[in-house]
Amino acid sequence: MRTGAAIVLDTLESLGVETVFGYPGGAIMPLYDALYDHRITHVLVRHEAAAVFAASGFARSTGRPGVCIATSGPGATNLITGIVDAQMDNVPVIALTGQVRTTVMGTDAFQEVDVAAITHQVTKRNIVVRSIDQIEPALRAAFRLATGERPGPVLVDLPTDVLRAFEEEQRQATVTQASPVRECPRADAQSLDAAVAALQGAKRPLLIIGGGARWSGATEVFRALAAHIGAPVASTLHGLGCADPGDPAFLGMVGMHGWKRANLAVANADVIFALGMRFDDRVTGDPTKFAPNAHTIVHADIDKAEFNKVVRAQITLHGDLRETLAALDHRLARVTLPSFEEWCNAACAREEQLPRDDTRHDHLSATDFLDALFAALPQDAIVATDVGQHQMWAAQRVRASHPQHFLTSGGLGSMGFGLPAAIGAQIAHPGRMVVAVVGDGGFQMSMAELATLRRHELPVKIILLDNRNLGMVRQWQELFYSGRYSATALPDNPEFTTIARAYGIESRLVDNANAIDAAIARMLESPGPMLLHCACFPHENVWPIIPSGKSVDDLMEALPA
Amino acid sequence: MRTVTANDGRILARIIHLAHRFGCTYTSVASEQLGAAYRMEFAFAGPGDALRRLDAQITKLLDDDRETME
Repeated sequence: MRTGAAIVLDTLESLGVETVFGYPGGAIMPLYDALYDHRITHVLVRHEAAAVFAASGFARSTGRPGVCIATSGPGATNLITGIVDAQMDNVPVIALTGQVRTTVMGTDAFQEVDVAAITHQVTKRNIVVRSIDQIEPALRAAFRLATGERPGPVLVDLPTDVLRAFEEEQRQATVTQASPVRECPRADAQSLDAAVAALQGAKRPLLIIGGGARWSGATEVFRALAAHIGAPVASTLHGLGCADPGDPAFLGMVGMHGWKRANLAVANADVIFALGMRFDDRVTGDPTKFAPNAHTIVHADIDKAEFNKVVRAQITLHGDLRETLAALDHRLARVTLPSFEEWCNAACAREEQLPRDDTRHDHLSATDFLDALFAALPQDAIVATDVGQHQMWAAQRVRASHPQHFLTSGGLGSMGFGLPAAIGAQIAHPGRMVVAVVGDGGFQMSMAELATLRRHELPVKIILLDNRNLGMVRQWQELFYSGRYSATALPDNPEFTTIARAYGIESRLVDNANAIDAAIARMLESPGPMLLHCACFPHENVWPIIPSGKSVDDLMEALPA
Repeated sequence: MRTVTANDGRILARIIHLAHRFGCTYTSVASEQLGAAYRMEFAFAGPGDALRRLDAQITKLLDDDRETME
């Protein structure tokens, strides 16, 4: 005779869950009691926000749902940012929240909050479980929804009396049935033929791969298609890793901090294949000036609501991206395509180096450090970033060989994401090198998770690029707010190496260019967690930049003279 | 006027919030319970592009709503 809490855990286990990330509290105590001797592993974080980011890191690095747990009230509300983050980046996260007893719901009971109402707009669905017989079907529906078509977060709210109830009396009449599996849409033949015809008539085609490739598992078929077509390839932030970083036709990331050659290719292309991307404003800038020479945009996506939302597409391919690309490749094998070699060579030959600031000789350059880091990391290393300048520097330079190797908060841009996401990835991949690249601002939002590293002996390597500023905001203040540096200086940052040591984490200070290689080598050799505190030049900026709402014509590669 | 059926009656609130987010307003909303489901009728006013986006999002919400616990 199981309790509701035991049913929760047994159902999770039957759905393939081995690890959950969470933080206990009053209303969720029955579930924690059941966890005490259950086979599922619980990773105790130090703040609920880290639980949901860790679940997200787990999901982003595996493609499987990540599960987080929090209690009612403040525990549940501390999950919200991570839930929105998962919604924006299409990450299958299952959030389980405790709730006050069903008999007192709506009475402003202690730690009561209507988390279902709060998360209604930012989840694929939320489910308030009101009886023990609803637990298993609710969780199964949650997993189907979270992982189905365009993935996203689902919250299941679990009142404490439901968790404590025993199944015997209430489950007799219940029969659990799986709801019919929804058929995944497939791009129609007419649209596929039109896409092939557009490519046959193209002179300067460009492929842009987005995050949809990650969730549909389309990396291999995309690479085959790209090789077959022979056109230049660009990537959104979340598409990084889909294209082979060593492919000479790969132009790098597009958008605000993308490579100039990638943005120029967008501007000059006559046919664009936008594959599993949603034309985020950080990609398009001014949408009326996006791809001004493209007479045909082919947009492939699983989510029909993305079509013509921001940029008008002449041809839409509605379906799972992997199947769509495979169907395209199959059709292309039966036709003759013109050679795009001349265009490809011209697009790829442009601007080989990223522009950068000339840092002073006595300071460490963050970009120098990242160049050395990415050259040294093993090919299968997983890199999780926080949000800010370091994130963009990393995205410009990372050599991810698979989209599950680069984890970043793209849509929401949530500071504090990096370290817990790395924790989730390390739990999922215990034998792999997992690196968290963080700034001094974001790191201080999740610094307490050093304790999680220590507790679970997770060998995450932390690269802390400390410029004693909220660097990205500072950069915008420098460029667009007349140098009025409001609330961005952090001259009073703590001694991070000492903090790491206090948590029992090995740490090193890197404060000059000559120390970079030895520090990275030491880090790669270290069997346990390690923090490299990189004391960087405080005013290094991210170049290039296309100012918000502008076009490639306004691209800046240095401070105005 | 669009008429739909949903398992989760709360979808109506979500649709209204979305409409306002997109810069639209509702001109008419009605809902009634039909057994375990809800029949909803609504009409919105606003810029054409926003109404088109709203319509697409409503369709998506209803697709997800078909994923039931049964």
